[in-house]
Amino acid sequence: MIDDLLGWTEYVPELAGGLGVALKLTAISLLLGYPLGLLLVLITDGSSKLLRGLGLVIVEFGRGIPLLVLLLIVYQGLPQVELTPTAMVSAVVAFTWSAGAYSTEIIRASLAAVPRGQSEAADAAGMSDRERFRFIIFPQAARLAIPPLMNLAVQWFQFSSLAYVITVPEIMQSAYFQGTVTFDYLSVFIAAAFIYAAVTIPTSALVTRLEARLGRHL
Amino acid sequence: MTVHSENGLTRPMLTAQNVTKTYQQHVAVNDVSLEVSQGEVVSIIGPSGAGKSTFLRCMNFLEVPTSGTVTIGERSITIGPDHKSPSRKEVAALRRGAGMVFQSFNLFPHLTVLRNVSLPQERVLGRSRSEADERSRALLERVGLSQKADAYPSKCSGGQQQRVAIARALALDPPVMLFDEPTSALDPEVGAEVLAVMKELARDGMTMIVVTHEMAFARDVSDRMLVMADGGVLECGDPRVIMKQPTHPRTERFLSAVLDR
Ligand SMILES: Nc1ncnc2c1ncn2[C@@H]1O[C@H](COP(=O)(O)OP(=O)(O)OP(=O)(O)O)[C@@H](O)[C@H]1O
Ligand SMILES: [Mg+2]
Repeated sequence: MIDDLLGWTEYVPELAGGLGVALKLTAISLLLGYPLGLLLVLITDGSSKLLRGLGLVIVEFGRGIPLLVLLLIVYQGLPQVELTPTAMVSAVVAFTWSAGAYSTEIIRASLAAVPRGQSEAADAAGMSDRERFRFIIFPQAARLAIPPLMNLAVQWFQFSSLAYVITVPEIMQSAYFQGTVTFDYLSVFIAAAFIYAAVTIPTSALVTRLEARLGRHL
Repeated sequence: MTVHSENGLTRPMLTAQNVTKTYQQHVAVNDVSLEVSQGEVVSIIGPSGAGKSTFLRCMNFLEVPTSGTVTIGERSITIGPDHKSPSRKEVAALRRGAGMVFQSFNLFPHLTVLRNVSLPQERVLGRSRSEADERSRALLERVGLSQKADAYPSKCSGGQQQRVAIARALALDPPVMLFDEPTSALDPEVGAEVLAVMKELARDGMTMIVVTHEMAFARDVSDRMLVMADGGVLECGDPRVIMKQPTHPRTERFLSAVLDR
């Protein structure tokens, strides 16, 4: 009986390689996506009309199109323009695009949440625009933005499971493969669920604590 | 209407000439002029919406006037059809002539009290960290808050925060200090701590413009009182005279309303 209940645990090691790929996809697409988000905030708030339009298109499509659809379009589309990316590269492109679009919104909202009086106090002191951003606005916005950006990371780790549809050897791809070998699909999927939960639940708890810590003085 | 200082001997420290500020159709400040000499304390009173804050904020270009000239010390900026709009640098230079204290304190919440006072000195005046900290500690001592140097603003009472804000503004050695209802957000007894600091500043010869509803402070501390309503100046002169015998019925109404409270 106990053996039946815990039978799925033997599949956990089989999925370890998939976990590595999932973490890599998540990490790379966020390391590229966060700076992309900051860049998109700067250009969509910037003075160049052309860049503003371009930024807006990237953000709106990145948020408006489901990640799964983006993923398939990038995977099928890039070879049409004579680019033959690997599945992993396609996944990174789609995940980065979407992460950039969502972090744009988070960063923009965090900047807007810094009270107007903060800018005024910096201005009244005679600080330059650059100093005001660097020393007053950015540090406060960052404290507000970090928790939601980390929640985005948790979500992205979960979304990495979508990449199995384009054959990225992440956790679900490994799980399906195990399933075809053993036909014990339920146990394999439970093992996969366990791995996701083992990463996301502690991370989310950490974010909650971090949020309280960062918000302490704001 | 131009209001000259009574003491004609000292040179004006701050001059506003024909300052007007309009928002779309609405005229918030209508052609107001004021000359403040060195060491003078001018209080600005008047009903809500009179344009007091807007006028004060035009002095350091937190609001860019629609037209008019503001001069602080040697720096002057004119806004008008024949003048090109001032550069960011010119505005920053003018702002260095005036320290400002806000109704809502506006301390930087992510910095300790000491860093709040030191950071602007380092960035704006180029002081070294140790120079800035030394000056900050001296000023915190002066406003009675040495013991709070390492605390964050969130751990300070409103009155303490406002005194830190005063120290932060003074740390830049401005020739003029602008106050916009510095005690309105405070309980009366806490406000008294802040008023005491301001009184001492005035006694030490600081040139000050104070928008306030504290009539006792306006009467006892200021050399001149400017009464505003509907964007314009109703009257300007000796606060005791104005409070005893206002020349304008609108002033009379306003005074009886605030004094009855
Ligand atoms: N940013 C703005 N946009 C539009 N109208 C404004 C703006 N700022 C001020 N006003 C208007 O200008 C007028 C003067 O406002 P101001 O804040 O200077 O008054 P005040 O005398 O300081 O009043 P209070 O005692 O309430 O602080 C008001 O009618 C106000 O609604
Ligand atoms: Mg006001």
